[in-house]
Amino acid sequence: MKYDCIIIGGGLAGLTCAIKCSSEGLSTAVISCGASALHIASGSIDLLGYSSGRYLTGDLDTHLDQLIKRKKNHPYAKIGKKCIWESLEFFRQILSKERLNLFSMDKKNHFHITSLGILKPAYLSQRSIFNGRLLDSYKLKKGLVLLNFRGYRDYYPGLAMNQLKKNPLFRDIPLKTGLIELPHYTKTARNMLEFRSIDLARVFEDETYLSKIAEDIRTGAGDADVVTLPDFIGIHNYEKLHARLEEMTGKSIIEIPNLPPSIPGMRIEHALKTSYASHGGEFSSGDRVTGCSMSRGMVEYITTENYSDTRLSAKCYILAAGSFFSGGLKSGYNLIHEPIFNLKVAGGSDRTKWASDQFFSRGSHPFMEFGVETGTDLHPFGADAKKIKNLYCAGAILSGYNPVMEGSGGGVAISTGYKAALEVIKKIKKSSLE
Amino acid sequence: METDVIIIGGGATGTGIARDLSLRGVRSILVEKDDIASGTTGRNHGLLHSGARYAVKDIDSAVECARENRILKKIARHCIEETGGLFVTLPEDDPSYQDRLMDGCSNAGIKAVEISCKDALAIEPRLNSSILSAIKVPDGTIDPFRLSSANMLSAMENGGKFITHAAVGSIIMKGGAVSGIECVSAKEGRFSIHANIIINAAGIWSQEICSLAGIKLKMLPSKGSMLIVDYRINRTVVNRCRVPSDGDIVVPGDTVSLIGTTSRSIEYNGIDDLRVDDDEIDILIRNGEKLIPDITRSRALRAYAGVRPLLAVPGNTAGRDISRGIVLIDHEERDGLKGLVTIVGGKLMTYRLMAEMASDLVTGKIGVSKKCLTARIPLPGSERLESLKKNLKLFPGISKSVIGSAMYRHGYRASKILKNDKKNYRQICECEMVTEGEIGYAMKSLNTGNITDLRRRTRIGMGPCQGALCTYRCAGLLNEMGHTTPGESLRMMEEFLEERWKGVRPVLWGDGLRESEFTYWIYQGLFGLGNIKNDNDGSSDEI
Ligand SMILES: Cc1cc2nc3c(=O)[nH]c(=O)nc-3n(C[C@H](O)[C@H](O)[C@H](O)COP(=O)(O)OP(=O)(O)OC[C@H]3O[C@@H](n4cnc5c(N)ncnc54)[C@H](O)[C@@H]3O)c2cc1C
Ligand SMILES: Cc1cc2nc3c(=O)[nH]c(=O)nc-3n(C[C@H](O)[C@H](O)[C@H](O)COP(=O)(O)OP(=O)(O)OC[C@H]3O[C@@H](n4cnc5c(N)ncnc54)[C@H](O)[C@@H]3O)c2cc1C
Repeated sequence: MKYDCIIIGGGLAGLTCAIKCSSEGLSTAVISCGASALHIASGSIDLLGYSSGRYLTGDLDTHLDQLIKRKKNHPYAKIGKKCIWESLEFFRQILSKERLNLFSMDKKNHFHITSLGILKPAYLSQRSIFNGRLLDSYKLKKGLVLLNFRGYRDYYPGLAMNQLKKNPLFRDIPLKTGLIELPHYTKTARNMLEFRSIDLARVFEDETYLSKIAEDIRTGAGDADVVTLPDFIGIHNYEKLHARLEEMTGKSIIEIPNLPPSIPGMRIEHALKTSYASHGGEFSSGDRVTGCSMSRGMVEYITTENYSDTRLSAKCYILAAGSFFSGGLKSGYNLIHEPIFNLKVAGGSDRTKWASDQFFSRGSHPFMEFGVETGTDLHPFGADAKKIKNLYCAGAILSGYNPVMEGSGGGVAISTGYKAALEVIKKIKKSSLE
Repeated sequence: METDVIIIGGGATGTGIARDLSLRGVRSILVEKDDIASGTTGRNHGLLHSGARYAVKDIDSAVECARENRILKKIARHCIEETGGLFVTLPEDDPSYQDRLMDGCSNAGIKAVEISCKDALAIEPRLNSSILSAIKVPDGTIDPFRLSSANMLSAMENGGKFITHAAVGSIIMKGGAVSGIECVSAKEGRFSIHANIIINAAGIWSQEICSLAGIKLKMLPSKGSMLIVDYRINRTVVNRCRVPSDGDIVVPGDTVSLIGTTSRSIEYNGIDDLRVDDDEIDILIRNGEKLIPDITRSRALRAYAGVRPLLAVPGNTAGRDISRGIVLIDHEERDGLKGLVTIVGGKLMTYRLMAEMASDLVTGKIGVSKKCLTARIPLPGSERLESLKKNLKLFPGISKSVIGSAMYRHGYRASKILKNDKKNYRQICECEMVTEGEIGYAMKSLNTGNITDLRRRTRIGMGPCQGALCTYRCAGLLNEMGHTTPGESLRMMEEFLEERWKGVRPVLWGDGLRESEFTYWIYQGLFGLGNIKNDNDGSSDEI
């Protein structure tokens, strides 16, 4: 079986790339072995949130210019500003078609509340996390109440409230916390008090409980007009549920992203997968790419765990297997490596230099910037230090940026995934002309 | 505050003394600068020596160990695992050491049996198969946290008082005698306690305590580093049959195994900032692999170091060659200062004997005639064997492993945790199966101040994920239960993750690196823990 392109890794980068490729008519396959980083991410898309530990406010276009000038090896510098904005617009449109709208504050960062009550900058968010109206409700200085479900062990609004109180922005807003009851959920033999966010998201999706929850929210909120909840408001028909809850309660409802699994992240994943399928793309989940065969400096075929004797081949390959967390990068005792193609990585063989002495070090950790080295065309270098011309890399597997410190994880994944797709499309169209 | 005896230091020795005195009806207050078992007591192998390790070089210690080994198996059984131990000779080792070891053991009264290599491999299947000989000894393991906690609990139940997170800053003296101490704590500020007797059980810090009283005591700090792998790869304690040296022992414990240890003398002023050197990791791994070749296939979980509390004896300088013997000093006799007693040296597993010796001396001084009872009365938790079967029947619907973990850690006292309320069984730390009920019990009854203390009482955050999820849960829960303010919870969360990081950082490769990336994403990326400053100083104003 020969495809136009095979994408290894079905996270944010791989899926963005796959949708772009398949929507341009390329025959596309994604092979992905496990849950991607979307299952733990906040569900907001960061573009560039911080510089030297400070929030970036103001025009992001200018901030991007500065970053690109300063850091030549940054993925953003490699793909350029035009492509970054174009990719985000593309991304927004595909999600919007799947009824998952993302909001931004023009080309600026907005801020959302984390479960510790700390503010976090982001560029794109779902309607329950940021939308224009919410900003107004903060400014209205009516009350805000942080609700939780009694017995839910993954969220503690008391901590968040205390931190918000210290923030000058919230100084004049009356804040309180409250508890509401879990719906009487009978479909489980498990201890309900050990529910994870995913179990509760399912409860929300079962609309039987919605009016009861709405009732509890209204009572719990009292006269406050903004309510925060942990991030459970469904995965599949979230926008509708959120709108209905707001309507039924008459309150603005904000979600606060929580410990994994991340419901907002899963919404994005669901929307991306649906979009990809609607373009006819193939998705093979639960299978791991284990090895490759190289011929004349190019990838000839790859093999997977489940079909070890089948040679999967394509005109182009995209490696979007994530960082250490997802297994795209591996570390040995004194070695950082990329396990499928043995690509050249920026890492270093002295493990004593991989991390800082303090976990919350101001300078973060060097290992966060480790990854595959590429040229501006996103081609990586093989063991012989030569570019592999039919392989591209995208997303968290790339080197040269620190997604946490810069607040750039989602932005890099989407824009490099998109850029890789453009390169592939260009190449395949050219070769078919020839 | 006023009492009969002040005990400085809450290690095994100090908590053991508190228990001993309380059982004799003597009033005492123990002062500890951090938490119980936060010093050397919490930083060793947890080996319940049979005595064999010392049988060749230090017969006195060997005899002490052998005797205490038998006593502890009776009074502290919920803190002990009778794993048994092996001494194995590798091809590169001097084969004659084996005979010397057998002789030493027989002199010290230790039950050592030569067994065939085949039998040794049957007992310990992952052992290096090229061993030349093997000796079986009654080594075991002992959990130092559980042990100290049980001693504290027993003392408290008999009227003993404990003040943790308070450091002794000075010793009050009156006319050639001590009359009390002054302490500093973050919570209470400065305060003083009066008593005519002070027992210095500050381990390696004893030198500092003595100098507060103007007395010279010279300790020889010798650092030992250890490495934990995330899999219980061996069943028994595996020792190398040679003169004790770096990396020659592998000890199983809970769900992990531990490679020990190195020995490096360090400066006295370095004892509060212990670091595992990178080459120590190499040494431990290289030598650990010689005993159990598979050991490095498991993920390295943590590395940490402790300092042996050894007293300088003129002429001796190297860590391993000094006697590990117990030293009891009556400073009235030695220095003419009435009321001060120092007890140092020894081992974790000779803590009871050390406590008995110090308590005997002190009760003699204050005219209490009651004899030591600690060799006979079991510790709280070891009173009776708790029955898993019975508990499973009493608490239907609660998983066997959850009940089992509570019993494993708290022995007979698990009955204080097991209650028929589902909320009680919510697992807060899933790796170690620590429930809300257990946390509540520890906070209420075991003198627990923060999440790190709680780890010592319950094993929270000690499993494979090293606190990735449970740190936040625990911080939130402590606030919800009313034990902390939200601000304190946030600070504890950060401190706990930094404390975990100290042990993870030296072994950061493979899955450990992956796990750390995850934890970093959660606390820094998702929660923004490092952003607090920005919010509080108003730099988010423009938002
Ligand atoms: C906890 C957390 C919070 C985050 N929060 C935010 C946030 O708030 N905002 C933001 O913008 N970004 C955030 N990010 C960052 C962002 O989510 C990631 O950078 C981005 O999702 C990475 O996408 P990716 O597609 O490159 O990799 P991944 O999402 O890691 O996906 C890689 C995929 O490849 C698969 N794979 C790996 N190896 C193989 C193989 N050999 N064969 C087949 N499949 C393989 C994996 O199973 C996985 O599904 C967060 C990340 C984390 C971890
Ligand atoms: C690497 C290594 C491995 C070991 N392995 C074993 C083993 O396997 N088996 C075994 O039996 N023994 C072992 N030991 C020995 C054993 O750990 C120690 O002998 C024992 O823990 C000492 O206990 P302690 O209570 O005397 O001292 P510590 O536990 O150090 O207690 C002293 C306490 O005093 C406190 N303190 C200090 N200054 C002040 C102050 N100013 N005010 C208030 N409090 C203060 C400290 O915080 C500390 O908690 C090992 C030791 C090392 C270093």
